[in-house]
Amino acid sequence: MDEVILETRNITKVFPETIANKDISFKLRKGEIHALLGENGAGKTTLMNILYGIYLPTSGDILIKGKKVIIKNPLDAIRLGIGMIHQHFMLVDTLTVLENIILGLKEYGFVIDKKAVKKRLKEIENLYSLKVEPDVKVWQTAVGEQQKIEIIKVLFRGADILILDEPTAVLTPQETQSLFKILRKMKEDGKSIIFITHKLEEVMQIADTITVLRKGRLIKTLPKSETTKSQLAELMVGKTQTLDFSRKRPKSNEEILKIENLTVHSDKSLKSLKGVSLSVFKGEILGIAGISGNGQKELVQTVVGLKKAVQGKVVFNGIDITNKPPRYIAQAGINYIPADRLAMGVAPNLSTIDNAIMRRYYRFPLSKRGIMNYRKALAYTMMMAKAYKIKLDNPFAPIKLLSGGNMQKLILAREILENPKLLIASYPTRGLDIASTQFFRQKLIDIANKGKTIILVSEDLDEVLSLSDRIAVMYEGRIVGILNAKEADKNRLGLMMAGVKT
Amino acid sequence: MFYFEKRQQTPGYLKALIPIISLLLGLFIGALAILITGINPLLVYKGLFLNAFGSWYAFSETLVAAVPLILITSGLIVVFRMNVWNIGAYGQYIMGAIFSSYFALFASNGLSKPVMLTVMVIASMVGGAIWALIPTLLKIFWEVNEVITTLLLNYIALYILKFLMYGPWKNPSSYGFPLSKTFPDTAILPIIFKGTRLTIAIIFALLAVLVVWFLIKKSKFGYEVRVIGDNPLAARYAGISVNRNIIIGMAISGALAGLAGMTEVSGIVHYLQVKIGADYGYTSIIVAWIAYLDPLITVLASVLFGGLASGGYSIQITMRVSYGIVGLIESITLFSLVGAQIFLNYRIRWKNGSS
Repeated sequence: MDEVILETRNITKVFPETIANKDISFKLRKGEIHALLGENGAGKTTLMNILYGIYLPTSGDILIKGKKVIIKNPLDAIRLGIGMIHQHFMLVDTLTVLENIILGLKEYGFVIDKKAVKKRLKEIENLYSLKVEPDVKVWQTAVGEQQKIEIIKVLFRGADILILDEPTAVLTPQETQSLFKILRKMKEDGKSIIFITHKLEEVMQIADTITVLRKGRLIKTLPKSETTKSQLAELMVGKTQTLDFSRKRPKSNEEILKIENLTVHSDKSLKSLKGVSLSVFKGEILGIAGISGNGQKELVQTVVGLKKAVQGKVVFNGIDITNKPPRYIAQAGINYIPADRLAMGVAPNLSTIDNAIMRRYYRFPLSKRGIMNYRKALAYTMMMAKAYKIKLDNPFAPIKLLSGGNMQKLILAREILENPKLLIASYPTRGLDIASTQFFRQKLIDIANKGKTIILVSEDLDEVLSLSDRIAVMYEGRIVGILNAKEADKNRLGLMMAGVKT
Repeated sequence: MFYFEKRQQTPGYLKALIPIISLLLGLFIGALAILITGINPLLVYKGLFLNAFGSWYAFSETLVAAVPLILITSGLIVVFRMNVWNIGAYGQYIMGAIFSSYFALFASNGLSKPVMLTVMVIASMVGGAIWALIPTLLKIFWEVNEVITTLLLNYIALYILKFLMYGPWKNPSSYGFPLSKTFPDTAILPIIFKGTRLTIAIIFALLAVLVVWFLIKKSKFGYEVRVIGDNPLAARYAGISVNRNIIIGMAISGALAGLAGMTEVSGIVHYLQVKIGADYGYTSIIVAWIAYLDPLITVLASVLFGGLASGGYSIQITMRVSYGIVGLIESITLFSLVGAQIFLNYRIRWKNGSS
């Protein structure tokens, strides 16, 4: 138990203009679960990418079992027994589970020796109660399942050191518990686990040792038994902040959005929304809770015109907007903060200016008779940056160089400045640090207090509970219940999200 | 040992260096091939250079070849920037030549030169655009990959041309050669520099560059093209009609390739034949890449590749070096360019101990 299996000594990683890691020295012992805790941008992922051979450190050493090693690429890492489970799964959707597991391995032949693979799978199943269907295609499997595949992939390659990057971000509370069970089994078997997260709850549940990073530096390493949640939070943020929203719940019976019996097919032409009906009242914050993949995305995207409804009706402010083009709906007064900012919210390689004007580039004064006025666009961008405290060094540089928080602020500013009647925010604080999260939640409350209507889609139950007036829970393409925020609690929501009738 | 590390941003000097090194690599491999034939490659390249840039006449011939390259590439830039890969400029070029030739051959009665030429310009652009819109509509309605359809339509266009040249449009007094009657004088583009083959087509080419530059840098359409090219999902989210812009872009691309076909038959050849400026449609793809899809750099790159083409024709005659060498140089250049993309996004680092 006390044997140090992996150690970093004074690891420093310098990127042009930023120091992502500074003098980080930490020890991972055999058979422990070591949580790496920190806000976004604290340097957790950089450190892990160094261990996994994606980056080389600028200076500092890595030692495995006391021996100095150089990890140039993931292959080296795998050879040294390090396995990484990324936050975004690295699976090939169109291949089977088995094919994914042995992807890149040469031992199983040009024509895959399925028998041998399955024998090995059986061993892993027996050891860790990790069971998957080997012959199913990955796209047919659920998210929780895909994570198991990723874990098996790593075990298959004989890893003793597992790095899990925010593994619970996509899981239900119940799936999280079953993941923890697997992790404990692996620990008993002598595997060492690095668990990256920013969720204190989970750290207290699963970790043996906790290392807190802040702004690229290692703040402290301490055993779980000697710490508390509030101490960890303080170490993470540097200073404690209180959640205090002054929210006046409106009393309006005016239906601003009415969704009737909405049915939508997913890309695989399965029904992803099964006859959803929902009314949203003027001035309220309606939270939509649910594990991602239960129809929230389809519901929201159909409302804003990005997906076609095969049945049903969406009426906004008295106008039928069912299957109308996105711009028509935006002009009717619905704006949208998409769930994945890099995938949909921005054009990452275009400048901040180009991204800031995305909602109004076609209107005077930004364009006139088909000709753009980029001087006005620049002025507009700078105004936006100032009003929303977006840290903007060079508005002409690609927006992907902004931090997640600043990028998300820009998207929020862009949407709010359109003065929408209804703002739909999908996972607005996902991946943001505590300060930005706070900023966002306050902004949402502010605009709701000004009488705007907000639909807030989130899987962060604390967020949904603290911001919403009412909460609708989605499960398998249906709304399984709508609660007033006052009568809702985490437990009840969690069960509803998992499809348990209450 | 070396390894690749992802870059945050591409340095400017690298962007300038990569096309130059690619071209040098093309010339180097070309030199090896010439060496095998037992000729001194340095002499060949000297001849190539002199025949491309060595005299006013040689340079004018280089410009003659650059004109269609500029026209076609300007159009390709618009669609390439949306990640729509129009490989069919060759076919669109042929259709432009056929459409404009129809008026020159069969409808020239009583039309004055300006009217005739205007009609031919419009016809060629319509012809090229139609040929480009077939694969576009297939792409939009049935998600058929445009790389394959545009490429295959090149062959269909070529066979239509062959059919006309061996069949209905054949000049009865051409002794069996597959070509049409010579165009009437009203259907021939005026020369602007005496003693050269440079016609007012060079003005068309420069106009095309300016229009495309303006479209990309200044217009609303250009903004939408940029967003679509970088992230089509974000474009849809912003309410941009991706399909509408692809249709407009392909129409522009096809029209300019068609216009290039017209300038070739009306300005250079003066009749329609099976072989008209064979490689412009494909060379333009290389030109577009080497110019980083920038309309102004396109002019420079077109002159360079125009020089390679016209110099190549000359050395074939004077030094008996096959024109295939030019094709070899062009293809190696393209390979190097495409291969070098990795250096734009990654940098090479050397493994050096633990530091």
